[in-house]
Amino acid sequence: MATVTINSLTFTYPQRKRPVLDNLSVTFPGGKFSLLTGVSGGGKSTLLRLIAGLTPLPAPNTVTFDGEPLTKIAPGKRAATVAMLFQEPSTQFTMDTVVNELRFALENQQVDPAAMPAKIDAALDFIGITNLKDRSLMALSGGEQQKVALAIIVAMDSDVILLDEPFASIDPPTRLTLLQKLVALCTQRGKTIILADHDLSGYDQWVDHLAVLDTGKVTLLSAEQTKKRFAAFTPEQLRLTHVTQPSSELTVCLQGDQLGIAQGKRQLIQPQDLSFFAHQATLITGPNGSGKSTLFRALVRLGKYQGTLAYAGTNIQKLSRKRYAREVGLMFQSATAQFLNVTVTEELNLSRHFGNADYFTAERVQDLLTQLNLADHAEQVIYSLSSGQQKKLQLLCMLIMAPDVLLLDEPLKGLDFASIQVVMRILTTVQRDLNLTLIMVSHQLSGLDDLITLHLHLDQQHLTYEGVAE
Amino acid sequence: MNPSLKLGLIVAIALEVSFAQVWTVNVALIAVSLILMLLNHVSFKRLLYLTLVPLFFSSTLVWSLSLRGSASPHFLLVIFTRLFVYVYMGGLFTQTTEPLTLTRSLEQNAKLPSKFAYGFLAAFNLMPKIRAEVATIKAAAMMRGQVLHFWSPQLYFKVILAAMNWSDQLAAAMTSHGFIEGAPRTHAMTIPLVARDWWLFGGCLLLVQVGLFCGLP
Repeated sequence: MATVTINSLTFTYPQRKRPVLDNLSVTFPGGKFSLLTGVSGGGKSTLLRLIAGLTPLPAPNTVTFDGEPLTKIAPGKRAATVAMLFQEPSTQFTMDTVVNELRFALENQQVDPAAMPAKIDAALDFIGITNLKDRSLMALSGGEQQKVALAIIVAMDSDVILLDEPFASIDPPTRLTLLQKLVALCTQRGKTIILADHDLSGYDQWVDHLAVLDTGKVTLLSAEQTKKRFAAFTPEQLRLTHVTQPSSELTVCLQGDQLGIAQGKRQLIQPQDLSFFAHQATLITGPNGSGKSTLFRALVRLGKYQGTLAYAGTNIQKLSRKRYAREVGLMFQSATAQFLNVTVTEELNLSRHFGNADYFTAERVQDLLTQLNLADHAEQVIYSLSSGQQKKLQLLCMLIMAPDVLLLDEPLKGLDFASIQVVMRILTTVQRDLNLTLIMVSHQLSGLDDLITLHLHLDQQHLTYEGVAE
Repeated sequence: MNPSLKLGLIVAIALEVSFAQVWTVNVALIAVSLILMLLNHVSFKRLLYLTLVPLFFSSTLVWSLSLRGSASPHFLLVIFTRLFVYVYMGGLFTQTTEPLTLTRSLEQNAKLPSKFAYGFLAAFNLMPKIRAEVATIKAAAMMRGQVLHFWSPQLYFKVILAAMNWSDQLAAAMTSHGFIEGAPRTHAMTIPLVARDWWLFGGCLLLVQVGLFCGLP
């Protein structure tokens, strides 16, 4: 059981003026499950990386475990003190198979080879994944990879377990299993757990303490306050007033016949007939990891699917890749996946060169840049923009391309309230002016009302149109 | 045979063959590699691939050399067989050696610093992810009206950016799993390096020397 104490920690990223963590002091109680929450980009990951010793501390003694400074703990003992589980499941392994990765971690701790098999089996058994022991890590789903990552931490017997948004792409049943295991690690083995997530929903019955990170400082709520906070918290409500069932007059643009989506051996969406309608703005909702992004990748021919998919009546596999890519575009969830150039201006010029330059005249683009607060960044290197600025630029680039069907995967992710208002206004105007078909996945639910006309909900591996018949 | 010694043997033979012009030794090496591959159940498809690719390149090389220039038939034969020696011996090595066993052997027997050994292994295991990333970049470019080919610099720029990002994540994960550069580690599997390996290594090298000596004009 280790108590994690942070004393007046200030951390500023190189080449930034404002510190992301500002004279922060907090104590995470030993043997308890604390949920660290705060807005995206608020410094949660930075704090966890500092506690884990992955980012060098700006001053010694700022992070202590049971009073012992992190900097004084011998490197060989660190993994037994603190270990971290990362957001991206697939890039946290060195070896090929589950058992080899476990061996690798134990070898690093200089565990006697004779003692390894028992430790490995015990850890796998605790998480309930003995059947995955000899499987190749790259062939596992994201949820299984996170379970393996947790099993490794169990095998290393680390006192403090840090988790950085571990459920970002994990389906609800796996999330539940992982949460149960984490609580068991707290109560049965006295581990200290700090989990970072920007979304509070689905944690109330699991966590002991809520730690709120706001403007560089953390406030740790007592168990009582935490209960109150959770009781007062209501998940953001989706309010759509223009949504109806699709009427028979609508034109179908994309038609799936017995369309099913699987990831490896796991079925995400059961085969079903599914239509997407032209010139409408469709919102797709559903739990994390339920298959929304995978469906989008299938729609743009980047992923496998079962059944057939037709665009304007023709099977998409029979269309030329080049032509299809110009008619059905995808705004990727990760903004940097979309960029091909170095500066903001180059990127916009590329879009104008191949996109709808008649509508997106130089003046209009300049006006939109001003609205999005990007006008001063024209010559800046894209990769040095903040994630919110990247997201706004990415949206603008894809709107200028103006494909007939534009798929938007979390276009509002990580944007502040003011930016969301601007982005939604621009999206609505452009969609109406150019009569575009928009299909959108979003966990950000407020501000969508003006735009959305159809709503698909993914639940129990099935997509259904919500709303009343017209 | 011990993987590190096997690697050393193959590199040594390949180096010698590059300088010696004895086609009989080349043919013998090809035959031995082929027999060993067959004994190790290398698939027929793989063998065909290992034969057709060098066949194309060595044929074109020999053809162009015989059309222009004054190469003797002996030299052409040496050039033709030399390419097969490289490919077959390389094939024999990769088809009979597990990357993980090689890494462990390089770390334990050849005393290669563990950060190189495991860094290489982590990168090797990321291959499927790299392939998926390339497909995504190409699709993203096509949606913007640009077609990227395998020779397009933009493709490499984006792949390198992605790889740099992954390498940071991997390094953090290795640290989190207790890996420390230069720190002592235990070994779950020990790769044996026994007298028999050295005898085999020496014997093979000696045989090649004898062959080269006898074959020299």
